[in-house]
Amino acid sequence: MKRSTLFSRAVDAPPSAGRPDDFAYLEPGEIYLDAACQSLRPQPVIDALIDYYTTYNACGGRVKYAWGQKVDARVADTRKAVLNLLGLSAKQYAVSFTLNTTYGLNLLLQQLPQGRFGRIVTSSIEHNSVFLPTITAARRLGVERLVLVRAADGALLYDAGQLERAVVVVNVASNVDGRQLTNLAQLVSDTHARGGIVILDAAQAMGHSRALLQKTDADAVCFSAHKMYGASLGVVVARHELLSSLDLGFVGGGMVQDVREEDFDLVQGDPGALLEPGLQAWGEIIALGRAIDWLGTVRPGGQAPARHLAGLSTRLFDGLAEIPGLSLLNHEPSPVISLYAPRQDSHRLAVFLSHSKVSVRSGYFCAHHYLKQQLGLPPLLRFSLGLHSTASDIDTATQALARLMKGLS
Amino acid sequence: MFCIAAFIVLVVMAAFSARYRRYVGTAWNCAWRRVTFRPCDTTFKQDIKDHLLAPIAARRPGLVRPAGITLEILAVLVILTTIWSGYTVVKSAVNLYVYGTCNKQDSASCTLGAEACSIPDETPGFVESIASFDVLGAFGNEFASLGETFAAIPARFQTWRAEDYLPANASYLTEDAANPTALEVIDPGCTFCRALFLNIEESGFESDYNLTYIAYPINGTDGYKFPNSLLVTQYLEALRLHPLEGAETPVDWQILSRIFTEKAETGLPWQDTINAMTAVETTATLTDWLGEFGLSDEQIDVVVAETGSDAVTEVIAANKAIVEDDIDTIKIPTIIFDGRRHDGLVSVDGLQ
Repeated sequence: MKRSTLFSRAVDAPPSAGRPDDFAYLEPGEIYLDAACQSLRPQPVIDALIDYYTTYNACGGRVKYAWGQKVDARVADTRKAVLNLLGLSAKQYAVSFTLNTTYGLNLLLQQLPQGRFGRIVTSSIEHNSVFLPTITAARRLGVERLVLVRAADGALLYDAGQLERAVVVVNVASNVDGRQLTNLAQLVSDTHARGGIVILDAAQAMGHSRALLQKTDADAVCFSAHKMYGASLGVVVARHELLSSLDLGFVGGGMVQDVREEDFDLVQGDPGALLEPGLQAWGEIIALGRAIDWLGTVRPGGQAPARHLAGLSTRLFDGLAEIPGLSLLNHEPSPVISLYAPRQDSHRLAVFLSHSKVSVRSGYFCAHHYLKQQLGLPPLLRFSLGLHSTASDIDTATQALARLMKGLS
Repeated sequence: MFCIAAFIVLVVMAAFSARYRRYVGTAWNCAWRRVTFRPCDTTFKQDIKDHLLAPIAARRPGLVRPAGITLEILAVLVILTTIWSGYTVVKSAVNLYVYGTCNKQDSASCTLGAEACSIPDETPGFVESIASFDVLGAFGNEFASLGETFAAIPARFQTWRAEDYLPANASYLTEDAANPTALEVIDPGCTFCRALFLNIEESGFESDYNLTYIAYPINGTDGYKFPNSLLVTQYLEALRLHPLEGAETPVDWQILSRIFTEKAETGLPWQDTINAMTAVETTATLTDWLGEFGLSDEQIDVVVAETGSDAVTEVIAANKAIVEDDIDTIKIPTIIFDGRRHDGLVSVDGLQ
């Protein structure tokens, strides 16, 4: 029998019990539940960024002095760490850094070559970072755009014929309810078999749901370092062939080997550079390397991160499900849970919770088409967990929401 | 309503703190859409309300709904009071320009205008009418008063000539054919009329103008504002009807001069003394003064008999009509000279 946490007193353990020391800077009582937007940075990542800015703050990229060479070495380490994290080979994939996931997806989609692809395929539950650029890319390429449905388990529902010469762009984990692209491997296989490519929005997956992405055959994986405990940074991991095929329209320093009055030569042997015009966010790239290291060693509550989060997700799901008057979008526990109260305004609830130091997101979470147009829902409230979250955080937040719902009803 | 109220409050707060200035633009956008009967296209209203209610929600969520209703009511009150304040400011400004006082009903209460004794407005005020449940009357009187004020604006642009408002039997403090005429409206009991007389004396005004007056006993809530003003006025008008031949200064002016400038044996100014006297004492005092100023017993009898005559009553009524209808002042003293009407006490510099 499940233990009810509704209206119960906070657990006896200290509120920070189970929280890695790397988040010790978090003020007591502050409960941050918006990790799906941006995860809190652990102290080692912050230290890495500060270390860069205070001890070797230099440009990378073909620099001859010591600081610059150190930057280049660390950036190269981060590229390797990213590929290792996904189990991918540098022989097939390159890593590019950019501003965020949206930027990375746009760099790929808006530079796809004309005439090669027959359609663009996406799904209805996508974040605007996928939904919008697939609209403009389809217009630019002059091809049809299919918006397919995702099953309750997150699988993309498709007929094989729909993948003919398709550019499939879908998320690996939803930022609304956390559902995962459970048929990823099959989707990639079917798409490749029909001459298409698969570009993945892994923004929500890279932090806590990387298992699906291990050794993926997808053509590109776009994600954000700031959702996986790194500093603010976008990452594109793409196949060399895809990068080489791009019809580049976004060019600049760092991408070229030589420049003439009317032409230029692109850099050779570094396909990742094709998406990196101009100066890079060196400190942030280095901090991502540190975040990946940290993710490999952190054991919150003495458990593996995935196991720890699974427990917290269940606690959160159960706690929210018990509160009368709430409608949960999730059918099962997830680190990302969205809900709404038919008789209460979600923005108001978010403001009220904020007054109790509980930070949750309200609105449509950049999934307007799915939530507003397709499901016809009012603005929602989203609770999203990170490795800084504790059982006490969850209990306090659910109790605060329960108390509000009871008082406001 | 809430948007508009929030804008009003934020504008005031932004005047004192930069912290609120960044919200004013958003608030204005929202308020403007509301006053142009369009829905607010931001969540500004909700944001402000939610932030105000959040401390209550954290402690007593059950009170959020009544507190929200209270906020809406407060918003309505803020708007109504702002509209009323704006209206009052405009009305006061126009009144100040037209009548020299921001408060037409009680002109002496307005510190922005010159000091004066007010001629009270008998019409019930807005709040008074509302308190007696006369809503129509409240608004009717208010707007009638405002209309009256606006209608009087052109009078401020006119060139005022004392000759156009002279009373019957006007007597002059000094007379010189070369000097222009000046006319003052006074109440013998009004302390500011005494002050004006002293300023006139100090400035040598009477050397430059042929100064005459209209004695105007100000009405009070019960009789006259100064109880013996009518009696003194009756004596002044009787003396004008029967001037003392050969007097260097008309006797009525000598009486005014004594009231305004001299002191009784008690050491108190005669004006204060007369204001505190009974009618019998005042009559006796004035009668004594007539003898002092050179009237014979027979002449005194004639003057005293005239004070209660229809002729004097008619003159006083006619003068009252000049003051209230033609000059249309609500402040005593009022003095007309130099092409202008000066409401209230005029300083020595002003007279010079």
